[in-house]
Amino acid sequence: MNAISLRGIHKTYPAHHGKTAVHALKGVDLEVESGVIYCVLGPNGAGKTTLIAILTTLLYPDGGGGTIFGLDLLRERGRIREIVNVTSGTPNFTDVFTVRENLNYYGMLYGLPKVPRNERIGSLIETFELKPYEHVLFSRLSSGLRQRLALAKAMLNDPKVLFLDEPTVGLDPKISETVRRTLKKISREKGLTLILTTHQMREAEFLSDRIAFLREGRIVAEGNPDDLKRGIRYGEKIRIRYDGPILFLEELSGLEGILETEGDDRLVTVTVDDHAKRLDPIIRRLNSDPRRVIRNIDIVTPDLEDVFLELAGSSH
Amino acid sequence: MNLQDHLIKTRAFALKSWLITRKRPFHLFEILFWPLLGLISVGLLARFLDLEARLVQFVLVGVVALNIVQVSQIDMAYVVLYSIWNRSLKHEMAAPVNVLQLVVGSWATGILHAFVVFVFLNVFSAMAFRVHLLQAGFFPLGVLFVGLVLFGCAVGTAVCAMAFHLGGRAHVGATFLVSILTVLSGIYYPIDVLPQPVQLLSLLIPLTYFLEYIRGCYGFPVTCSNPLLWGFLLTLGYNLLSFFLLSLSIRAARQKGTLLELSE
Repeated sequence: MNAISLRGIHKTYPAHHGKTAVHALKGVDLEVESGVIYCVLGPNGAGKTTLIAILTTLLYPDGGGGTIFGLDLLRERGRIREIVNVTSGTPNFTDVFTVRENLNYYGMLYGLPKVPRNERIGSLIETFELKPYEHVLFSRLSSGLRQRLALAKAMLNDPKVLFLDEPTVGLDPKISETVRRTLKKISREKGLTLILTTHQMREAEFLSDRIAFLREGRIVAEGNPDDLKRGIRYGEKIRIRYDGPILFLEELSGLEGILETEGDDRLVTVTVDDHAKRLDPIIRRLNSDPRRVIRNIDIVTPDLEDVFLELAGSSH
Repeated sequence: MNLQDHLIKTRAFALKSWLITRKRPFHLFEILFWPLLGLISVGLLARFLDLEARLVQFVLVGVVALNIVQVSQIDMAYVVLYSIWNRSLKHEMAAPVNVLQLVVGSWATGILHAFVVFVFLNVFSAMAFRVHLLQAGFFPLGVLFVGLVLFGCAVGTAVCAMAFHLGGRAHVGATFLVSILTVLSGIYYPIDVLPQPVQLLSLLIPLTYFLEYIRGCYGFPVTCSNPLLWGFLLTLGYNLLSFFLLSLSIRAARQKGTLLELSE
């Protein structure tokens, strides 16, 4: 069963307080398999937060529909809230409550009876290394600790789907890294489906099994990170330095999968769709003249940043 | 959903309200200091005007009643308002809780606080102004208290509904509602001193009937045939109406995105 299945989700924020209406989502379709880490990437204003808000039932869509673990997004919102949880990059909880009081309060909101609730809170405090801060007021926690508390809170009901809206925004790099590792670990250990939004390519690349690019309220590309990188016109670059007679670029024409060729003295740069498939024929063509000797081969694959720039830029 | 689940979620809101009171001296101030100040100032005014004892009783019971409504509604309002001020509302609304749990849970602490204030003001008025509100008897005072906290629930629910629409500004709405009650429901005077058309508005307020009932117990003339019945019927109606408004307001907040805005 798919964890999430969405069809034609539309959302427009009505005009109010002098602001014009915003058509935030324009027919989003989404299929997310159970147990994967799925990342929704996009520039600011792309509709990422709106999408998460709809999936967590904090926001009602104007059109379209879908299911979360078979529960209808429009008709079974109460049951959906029982199996999902959410956290955001700037988590806020009751400022006069301590870490434990906040967890206890949310544990009660999720209907956990006292004994299992206390056990769960204890275990989450351990997992997220919050023990020394258990009785510290939320208002006195650093942003890193707040994020750890938010993640602990998000795990209270042992959700089937966890939504993370920009989970590391505003955190220092070291804490961000810890958060990422923790997320990956939790997802793998518990088989949890994790949906996160981010505009950090590195984070998406590190965490995600699949990625959707959202731009101006539409998903413009979807796939696993490798497919996406291969899919953009940048391709992968194979740089070969050699000695011997010059290789004329025309010699490479006719080979399958070649997107672009550049030559400079005895350095040839070939842009291909998939280096694993195309490297061997290129080397054979180079070696067709036995006087040539290959000195060095570099393979440069595009990163998600390239994909992002390509997809974000193609609208302009 | 089973009963245990329902009770745990209801208790969550009660706990929140309880902890806020315990940890925020300002809140404690609001539920004890202002009612006391109100009682003292009106009591002293009555002394200055040299009112006879039964008239002082007439006025002070009005002050006590208004404060009970105010205190029982304020806890309910604060459960939502604190979430708005802390920008944590979306986390609470992402949990599988319903409007009934929110209302009953936050109201439960309101009842407790209101009871403490009720006893405190009764004792204080007896000691400071020799006005024995208990003279009406335990049962009538008990009925009055129940009526007042039930009406407070309707007011508190209405304020919560405003909060989902207006955000933190709903605090002003709460003050507005209580001010309207002060003028219209005969707190300091019988409603027949009001202009005739305004009296019709007074008759729409349950507090008017609860005061009529308790003042009847002190020997003041009762103009309405069955004030308790009217008081409780209207209270029931307002509770249903405010509950409906709160549900509608939360739905609208999820529809328009206000819920997200209130959490940013």
